[in-house]
Amino acid sequence: MNEVLLLQGLVGGIVFGAIYALIGASLNVMVGVLRVINFAHGEFILAGSFFAYAMLMGLGLNPLYAVAPVAVLFFLAGYGAYFVLIPRLQRSDEPETSSFLLMFGVSLMMIAVLTWIFEADIRPVNFSFDPINVTLLVVEDAYGPGRDGRVIVPTARIVALAVNALMIIALTWFLYRTLTGKAMRAAIMNRDAVQIVGIDVHHLSATAFGLATAIAGVTGVLLAMVVPSVDPNGGPPLALVGFVVIVLGGLGHPVGALLAGVLFGVVEQVATVMLPQAAAQMLGFVILIAVIFFRPSGILGLAVSR
Amino acid sequence: MTPSLSRPTLATESPGIVLEMQAVHAAYHGDISVLNGVDLKIRKGLITGVIGPNGAGKSTALKTMYGFLKPSHGEVRLKGQRVNGVAPSKMVAQGLAFVPQNRSLFNDLTVEDNLRLGCWTFRKDTGRVQAALERVYEQFPILRQRHRQRAGTMSGGQQRFLELARALVLEPEIIMLDEPTAMIAPKVSRELYEFIQELPSHGITVVLVDQNVRQCVAVSDHLYVLDLGATRADGSADAFGSDEALRTMIQEWLDYQID
Repeated sequence: MNEVLLLQGLVGGIVFGAIYALIGASLNVMVGVLRVINFAHGEFILAGSFFAYAMLMGLGLNPLYAVAPVAVLFFLAGYGAYFVLIPRLQRSDEPETSSFLLMFGVSLMMIAVLTWIFEADIRPVNFSFDPINVTLLVVEDAYGPGRDGRVIVPTARIVALAVNALMIIALTWFLYRTLTGKAMRAAIMNRDAVQIVGIDVHHLSATAFGLATAIAGVTGVLLAMVVPSVDPNGGPPLALVGFVVIVLGGLGHPVGALLAGVLFGVVEQVATVMLPQAAAQMLGFVILIAVIFFRPSGILGLAVSR
Repeated sequence: MTPSLSRPTLATESPGIVLEMQAVHAAYHGDISVLNGVDLKIRKGLITGVIGPNGAGKSTALKTMYGFLKPSHGEVRLKGQRVNGVAPSKMVAQGLAFVPQNRSLFNDLTVEDNLRLGCWTFRKDTGRVQAALERVYEQFPILRQRHRQRAGTMSGGQQRFLELARALVLEPEIIMLDEPTAMIAPKVSRELYEFIQELPSHGITVVLVDQNVRQCVAVSDHLYVLDLGATRADGSADAFGSDEALRTMIQEWLDYQID
């Protein structure tokens, strides 16, 4: 029976891990390119979830249809929000500390707005695909003779994972193969130097802010498909996962964040089925502390000059 | 101060001056005053050296000309146009290139990607990008050999040449070099100076800040002495040529520091 549970945990781990990977990658773009400690990242994600929820309730549309509008609208909102929020931080002596406080304020504000519009209850997101579930694997006689075990996954999770994988491929392609993506990575490596090659650092930063916001929003849509409920107070744990993932993966290292996200998700989900619940929740953070002790620049071990 | 060194005159319209600072004051974060009246005139087609003791404001003067710092008083003019506080990214398009003192490479990107980012302002003109890359690869064969290597894994001297090459892909009219030979092996340093001396023959005006006074005097056509954030003296390199003048100057710096 352990075999079935373990496989079930592993599949869940990959689904959640891919979501954590996206959270980490988008947060990493924001922290790396902009030096903004985005404490409101969890609420950016939630806003995407609520957008999908509103489309479902208002128009009866499956959350999958929210992916494209959220990506476009959140990019534009993020691009604009950059100019309102961020440039004045750079006049401060301690832009990173100020950014943390500023984004903490934004986080509280967004929670208030979401609570105001949607009220404080946890709401189910009622939608389904046909078929509702897919049986990935049958383990014969798993529970004794004639009693087979099945590894079952909701179709919504498979669809979410597929969209997620496409996003990860697209993001990696953008950051490693296009000149604009390389300019963003260059800004992570040496922010002053991007200006001396003639890059308009405000336009680049606003684009990065928009990109990170768009990915966060789409992550929220996918999260509403994987965990079909929405909660205005669900943001802080998501931001926490994001920070854990970028520390594990290496600050300013987007691919490191992707690997770390999947690792964190798999460990968490497998531990949930194999260990007592409290111990399972602890394990991810034990890994975090171990990484900080033994590989302070992340699991890929690449130090990023600042 | 030796008699041959004179304060700059204020003939602002004189032809041949491509970049100038006039009575510029500037401060970091509004309160730490670093420049208190800097006058510099950069003459077309020459190498202008800027020397002075530590903390004289040499690097800050360059950063202010380039737009990293906005003057609180005074004027910066590029080709006659007032450019106070114009963003650095706009200066590039005006033909002004800058190689700062701190390493400015993107360490995890390849040599070629560093150069391609140097072509950012004309990135959509793929023909021009290719031609620019080809040109610097001709000038620096080592960069062609190592075009797929990560910039951060090259030696200090090679990194300096890459920074120089990345500035030159822009075909700048003026290049500002801040301490180009700091922390570099003497042999490479000599190669760098030889290269810098060649730049005017390619139509590039050079502004050179250097701690190494002797070297700077040797390659410069015109020199400025900065101290305590202000221009103390300027003159042709010949006026600084005799060792006696140099000794007097260095003695004066030491006197300031003892005061």
